[in-house]
Amino acid sequence: MLHVESLTKSFPLDDGVLTAVDDVSFRISPGEVFGLLGPNGAGKTTTMRMILGLLEPDSGYAEVDGVRTATDPMAVKSRLGFVSASDGVYPWLSVREMLLYFADLYAVDSTLAEQRCESLADMMDIKHLLDRRAGELSTGQRQRVTLVRGLIHAPPVMLLDEPTRGLDVVGVQTIFDYIDILRRGGKAVVVCTHRLDEAERLCDRFGLLHAGRLRYCGTLNELKEQTGQASLVDIFVDLIRN
Amino acid sequence: MSNESHSGSVPIAPQRPRKRSHQPGNRLVRLCQKELRETMRDRRTIITLVLMPLMVYPLLSMAFNRFLVSATAGTSDETPYTIGVETDDEGTLLLAWLEDPMSQPPDAILKASKGKLATFRVVNTTSVGLTPDEALKEKKIDLAAQIELDDPPRLRLTAYSGDVAGQGAQRVLTERLHWLRLARAETILKSQLNEYTPPAEVTVAKVGAPEKPSMLGTIVPLVLVLMTITGAVYPAIDLTAGERERGTMESLMASPVPRSYILFSKYVAVVVVALLTAMANLLAMFTTLWAGRLLPLLTGGEDAFPWLAVLQILGLLVLFSGFFAAVLLSLTSFARSFKEAQAYLIPVMLLSLTPGMLSLMPGVTLQGPLAIAPLINIVLLAREVLQGTAHAAPAVITVLSTIGYAAAAIAIASKLFGSDAVSRTSGQSFGAMLKRPARVSPTPSPQTAAMTLALLVPIYYLVSNVLIRIVPELSISWVLTLNAVALVLTFGLLPLASVVLARCRFSTSYQLSPPSPLALVGALLIGLGAWGIAHESFVIAKQLGIGGLDVDRIEKTKQTVEALKVAPAWLLVGCLALAPAVIEELCFRGFLFTALRRVLSPARVIMTTAVIFGLFHVVTGNMLLIERFVPTTLLGLILGWIAYRTQSVWPGVLMHFTHNALLNLAAKYQDRIEFLGAGFENQMHLPASWLIVLTTTTVIGFAIVWFSTRKPAATNPNLATTPA
Repeated sequence: MLHVESLTKSFPLDDGVLTAVDDVSFRISPGEVFGLLGPNGAGKTTTMRMILGLLEPDSGYAEVDGVRTATDPMAVKSRLGFVSASDGVYPWLSVREMLLYFADLYAVDSTLAEQRCESLADMMDIKHLLDRRAGELSTGQRQRVTLVRGLIHAPPVMLLDEPTRGLDVVGVQTIFDYIDILRRGGKAVVVCTHRLDEAERLCDRFGLLHAGRLRYCGTLNELKEQTGQASLVDIFVDLIRN
Repeated sequence: MSNESHSGSVPIAPQRPRKRSHQPGNRLVRLCQKELRETMRDRRTIITLVLMPLMVYPLLSMAFNRFLVSATAGTSDETPYTIGVETDDEGTLLLAWLEDPMSQPPDAILKASKGKLATFRVVNTTSVGLTPDEALKEKKIDLAAQIELDDPPRLRLTAYSGDVAGQGAQRVLTERLHWLRLARAETILKSQLNEYTPPAEVTVAKVGAPEKPSMLGTIVPLVLVLMTITGAVYPAIDLTAGERERGTMESLMASPVPRSYILFSKYVAVVVVALLTAMANLLAMFTTLWAGRLLPLLTGGEDAFPWLAVLQILGLLVLFSGFFAAVLLSLTSFARSFKEAQAYLIPVMLLSLTPGMLSLMPGVTLQGPLAIAPLINIVLLAREVLQGTAHAAPAVITVLSTIGYAAAAIAIASKLFGSDAVSRTSGQSFGAMLKRPARVSPTPSPQTAAMTLALLVPIYYLVSNVLIRIVPELSISWVLTLNAVALVLTFGLLPLASVVLARCRFSTSYQLSPPSPLALVGALLIGLGAWGIAHESFVIAKQLGIGGLDVDRIEKTKQTVEALKVAPAWLLVGCLALAPAVIEELCFRGFLFTALRRVLSPARVIMTTAVIFGLFHVVTGNMLLIERFVPTTLLGLILGWIAYRTQSVWPGVLMHFTHNALLNLAAKYQDRIEFLGAGFENQMHLPASWLIVLTTTTVIGFAIVWFSTRKPAATNPNLATTPA
């Protein structure tokens, strides 16, 4: 469903070049949750942005359902859902107006969009907020709205960038439940995070990024076998130190 | 979260959009609605839009009124000057002098002051316990008068230094007594000298309408600049930098909507808010002035509400708002935060005041390079429109170049908005915008085409102006050669530079693929016949009153035709047929056509390129050749259709070449073909036999092109990115 092949991206700096993502490849199947893990600055967000078509890779490609980002970026974008911890809302629109606006951006038929808006709002328990102004919502309520927003066009692939950052226990549990729903809905999910404990609970497979390179890729057991370490945290500490 | 019961309802497959509701135009309208809804609900917009005009203008009017009252006290016709005296006798004597008809100025002077005399009120200041000088110091009177009742009486007038009313009273009273003295002296002279005649009897007369000094033309352009900027600044920042600051930028950029759509909808919202703000300000300003009876100061005329001026201003507002909204968006799109956007905009706002001040300077007119100078041109146009001195050609140039600048600014904005430069966390320079893309694209983007057109308008205007200036000194061969060179330099090189800079593929950007031989035959036949249709359309346009040549133009055309007769045929064909055919086709049916095909349906692309093609032929130097619009646009429609059908620029080049070559050779060899009976010089309809032959040829040509291209251009994957 999602295929990333040899993605590479460098940024010019005053004193040279920074290779933010270096030859990263992985595949994700429907119903699979893939954790793209790494410390801050490892290249997770850059990888995500290249998949989304927000950044042009220097080489390599990302492919969704056989369509490459470089060939038909609009077709790829319409198949991707994206939720980030830094996602905001339009404060002067009602929640319903905002959700329908995004549905329109993704060319979802208006009747279908209304139906999805209702059902997803019901699912994420924000139905009572639909006609409230988005600027009046609490942090937790905004988080739920953005989670619904990411699904309004029913994408087969979901990208979640640091979804639990800055959330309290209830908020984190909401994300866990959401990812579980996505998995059961047959979506291919990429979760970018540096919270290894959460990733261990959430993800089926893992890709460990460090300094732009994908050092390890596989299930938890496969990673343990490859590294001889007991947990993801140990694997990571070992990776960074060596 | 009720995930258990609803987990099955998560949609999986992406839905195919319904065609009706997601046509690009409908979607664009909805995007505009959203931006407007969001902006108009914002409390800060409401404050700028409603509260400012409601509060500021009444306050300004009150202050202005107060200023005027104090500045003009005692100087108006109705308000009498107050003169203070110490005794009733002095008062009586003073009034007797003033009421004596002999103290009135001569008729000539009286007429100059509209027949109105200043009036005086004489008061005895001792009634309030003050001497006249004391009353003057306390500003209870305008002038203190002291009369010593000798023979003759001695009058001493004292005014408060710097008091306008007092100085005026002193001057007028002195003059009145002077006239009295003169008139009495003349009466005595007449009675004693029978042969006395005055040196001259003076009468005065006026011709022409009185010129009413109006502040509209000087003040309003400056006010328009301030009003539109004030209205546009906040929404421009909020809708661009604000997206990033509130965290909606990435989600927006991740959606499958062309950036140009998003930017255009934001542009519409900013223009609307700027317009509404300016209108609210204007309404408040005029209403306040009208209610405060200050309107004549602005209009120089009657107290009536200046409806015509308001309508003119509204038209100008659209131009100002369109320009500022685009410029501000292009700057704020680069900003990552409100603060950064404000830092960019403050210098722009200050800079914008300089052209605004131009409207206050006498002698600066809208002509020459000023007609294409951004902002300066619209400020001068506003002044000339309001003063009723605007001319059509520079006005059209101003409007066209401003539309071009606005389009270029939006193109820049859509390139910057949400690009690497603002989405990335690391810093990025403004120069990155000019960097060549890493990948080759098949056709230029509409933004690239917009920027190229925006550059083409002023450059073409300058080049054609320079040519017109030097043409009278050159031979016809040089004129023709320079025309061709100018064409290559403007319509040839500018699009070429854009294609190179945007790293576009030449073959697809210019539609250089070889056509079928049959398509070429069809195009040739259309070319052989279409010139007659162009001629007929020109004659019909003239009859409908939307073109035609005046006597002066006919004379100039005759001179041109005479000059062409002496030019070598090869030069004529090379410069007026081959060069335009190749360069204009590559520009309009190649570069522009393929760029617009990315976002418009074939019919709209053909129409748009034809109108732009027609407009460029209308503007020549400082003249507007309106009569050329209909035939050239019609020619553009045919050429556009051929380019669409054949997916190649070459049949159009052949048709264009044939058409131009025939027209120019017919002009050169006019004398030899006059026996055929065509009335070119007199702008008459062609003979019926000619029309039948030419129409048949054209129809056959169209049929051949149609049947040789049964699978039209929509199948071209490089061009068909939107539904046809």
